[in-house]
Amino acid sequence: MKPIRRRFPWAFLAKRVAYGALAMLAIAIINFFLLKLAPGDAAEALAGQAGTADPAYIAQLRAQFGLDQPLLSQLWAFLVRLATLDLGYSYVFNERVSVLIFSRMPATLMLMGAAIVIAVIGGIVFGVTAARYANRWPDRVISFVALLLYGTPPYWIGLMMILIFAVTLGWTPTSGMENVLAFNTGWDRVADIAHHLILPALAQSIFYLAIYIRLVRAGMLEVLSLDFIRVARAKGISERRLSYRHALRNAVLPLVTVVGTNVGNFLGGAVLTETVFSWPGVGRLMFDAMFQRDLNLLLSILVLSSFFVILANLIVDLLYAVINPTVELK
Amino acid sequence: MSNPILQVENLQICVRKKPGVLILRGVSFHVNAGETLAIVGESGCGKSMTSLAIMGLLPDAVEKLSGTIRFKGRELPITDNRAMRKVRAAEIGMVFQEPMAALDPLYPVGKQVLEVIEEHEKLPRAMAWARVIDLLTKVDLPNPETLAWSYPHKLSGGQLQRVVIAMALACNPDVLIADEPTTALDVTVQAQIMRLLKRLQRDTGVAIVLITHNLGLVAHTADRVMVMYAGNKAEEAPTRDLFLNPRHPYTRGLLDATPNPERASAQGGVLREIPGTVPSIADPMPGCRFAPRCPNASDLCHARFPDPTYEGAHGYACHHPVTDARV
Repeated sequence: MKPIRRRFPWAFLAKRVAYGALAMLAIAIINFFLLKLAPGDAAEALAGQAGTADPAYIAQLRAQFGLDQPLLSQLWAFLVRLATLDLGYSYVFNERVSVLIFSRMPATLMLMGAAIVIAVIGGIVFGVTAARYANRWPDRVISFVALLLYGTPPYWIGLMMILIFAVTLGWTPTSGMENVLAFNTGWDRVADIAHHLILPALAQSIFYLAIYIRLVRAGMLEVLSLDFIRVARAKGISERRLSYRHALRNAVLPLVTVVGTNVGNFLGGAVLTETVFSWPGVGRLMFDAMFQRDLNLLLSILVLSSFFVILANLIVDLLYAVINPTVELK
Repeated sequence: MSNPILQVENLQICVRKKPGVLILRGVSFHVNAGETLAIVGESGCGKSMTSLAIMGLLPDAVEKLSGTIRFKGRELPITDNRAMRKVRAAEIGMVFQEPMAALDPLYPVGKQVLEVIEEHEKLPRAMAWARVIDLLTKVDLPNPETLAWSYPHKLSGGQLQRVVIAMALACNPDVLIADEPTTALDVTVQAQIMRLLKRLQRDTGVAIVLITHNLGLVAHTADRVMVMYAGNKAEEAPTRDLFLNPRHPYTRGLLDATPNPERASAQGGVLREIPGTVPSIADPMPGCRFAPRCPNASDLCHARFPDPTYEGAHGYACHHPVTDARV
C-alpha cells in the first residue's frame, strides 16, 4: 500500500511570496508616514537626554541621522536599506539595528512559541474534553473558566501571577529571562530559562487559550453531530478514537486558521508581556524605540514583524492543505 | 421461518424519561439467515429507529422501554456501548441513507474501509489492505488500488455508497441493515446499487434488512415485507403475497398510492392517496392508530388495538381486513 503523493504547490508558493513582498512594501511605506506624523524625532529625544536644547546641536544631529533630508528621499533611503537587508544604525542605542533586533529576536520567538503551544495544546485538550462531556459538569467547569479567562485583561493576569506564584509562593522568578549571575551553561541554562519562561508564556497564552477552548468545543460538537460520525460508530470504533481521529481532525481546521491570524496579535501582545515580566525581547525594544523616537529601529522592527506574520500565514495555509485534502492550493 | 438469525420481540422505544411518548409501540419480527426482509412505512413510522436500536445506536433523546433483540439466539446488550462495538460491523453491518455525508472527508476511502478490519480482526497491515482492495473490487469500483487513496470528495454518490457497502461487509457480517440505501441516489444508480446488494447477498449469504419507502424497490428485491405504521407492525407477508393480497387497509392504501400506468385506467386514471395524517407519537390512542384514516374503521377499531392475526406466513393487525385482491 502506497499513498499517492500530492505535488508540492510551487506555483501557489511563488504567488504568495510575491504577494507577501508587496504587502511588506506597503506596510513599510504606510508605517513610515504614520510614524513621521508623530511629533518629535530622535535628534530631539537625544538632545533632551543630553540636557540641551541648543538648535545648532539638534540640527547637527539631524544632519548626521539624515533627518534633514526631504521626506521622500528619507523614505527612498529607508526602502533601499530594506531591499539590501542593511537595516542601518541606531544612534540611540549606538548599535547596528540588525544586531539589536537579532539579539532580541530569539527571546521573543521563544516566548511567542511557548505561548502558542500552550494555547493550542490546552485549547485542544480542554475543548475536546468539554465537548465529550457537553452540558455535564466537566464541560460546565471548563466553559466557565474559559469565559472568565476570556474576560480578564492579560496584563492584570500577568501581575496577579507574579504576585501569587513568584512573590507569595516563590515557585518562579519574578522577572527576566535567566539568572545571569549564576553563569549557567548547557542544560542548567535551558532549565533556568524554562523556569523563567513559565509565567510570561502562561500570561500571554491565557486569553488565546480561552478562545481556542471555545472554538474547539463548538467545532467538536458540530462535527460529532455529523453523519460520518454515526457511520464510524456503526463500524464499532471506540469513542476515544472517534473523538480524536475523526471528530478532532475535522474540528481543528478552523483553529488552524485562527491561530494563523493570531500570530500578529501574539507579537503585539509581546510588548505588554515583555514589559510586565522584564523579558528582554523585541517587544520591549520596540517600546523603547518608540519613546526614544528611534524611527529607523522602530520601522525595522515593524517590517520584520510583518515578515513573520506573513510567513506564519503562509505556513498555516500550507499546513491547512496538508490537514484538509479537500483544499487545493492554486 | 426456519432459521431466524435476528429476532426482535415486543420492542418498545420511548422518548427518554417519557414512557408515555412511544416511538416504537411493541414491534416483533424476525430475519432468517440469508433472506431479505424489507421494512416499509412512511417517515416517522419507526423503521429507522428499529434499525438503530438493533445496532445499539439509539440517539440520546430516546431509550428502550421494553423488549428484546436476539442475534443468533443471544440477547444483544444494546445499551452497552462497549459490548455493542464488537457486534457492529463484525456481526451486523449497516449502510446509511446519505453516502455523501457517510465518510470522513479527511481520510482516503480505502483507509476508512481498513479501519473496520483493523478494529475487529488482528491481521497484518498488508493482508488487511489486500482485503480492502478485494472488497473495493467486489463492489465494482474501477481501479481499486488508485481509488482506495482517493478522498471522499473526489467520488460520486454511487461510488461512495459502494465504499460504504464495502465498509459494512468488510468483516463478513451475518446481517446487513440497509437504511434507505438508494434514496439519495439517481434512479439509474439506485438500480445498480440494489443489483450489487443482491449479488453480494448471493455470494456471501448475508441477510439484508432493507428499510425503505420505495415499494418498487421492495417488489424486486425483498423475500418478505413488513409494513409499519406509527410505531406498530401493520402487516407482514412474503413479498408476492403482500403485493397481490394486502390485508391491512394501510398496506392497501400504500399500494394504491403507488403510480402504476397499467393500473391507472382501472382506478379511473386517479392516483388514490390515503386521507389524513399520521397521529402524533404523544397521542395516547387506545385503538388502532390507523383508524382515523381508515375506510373500514368501526367503533371497535377506535376502542381496542387489534391483535395480530396469522394466515400462514401472512400476518396483519386489523379488525376488518381487506378481502378483495388487487387488480
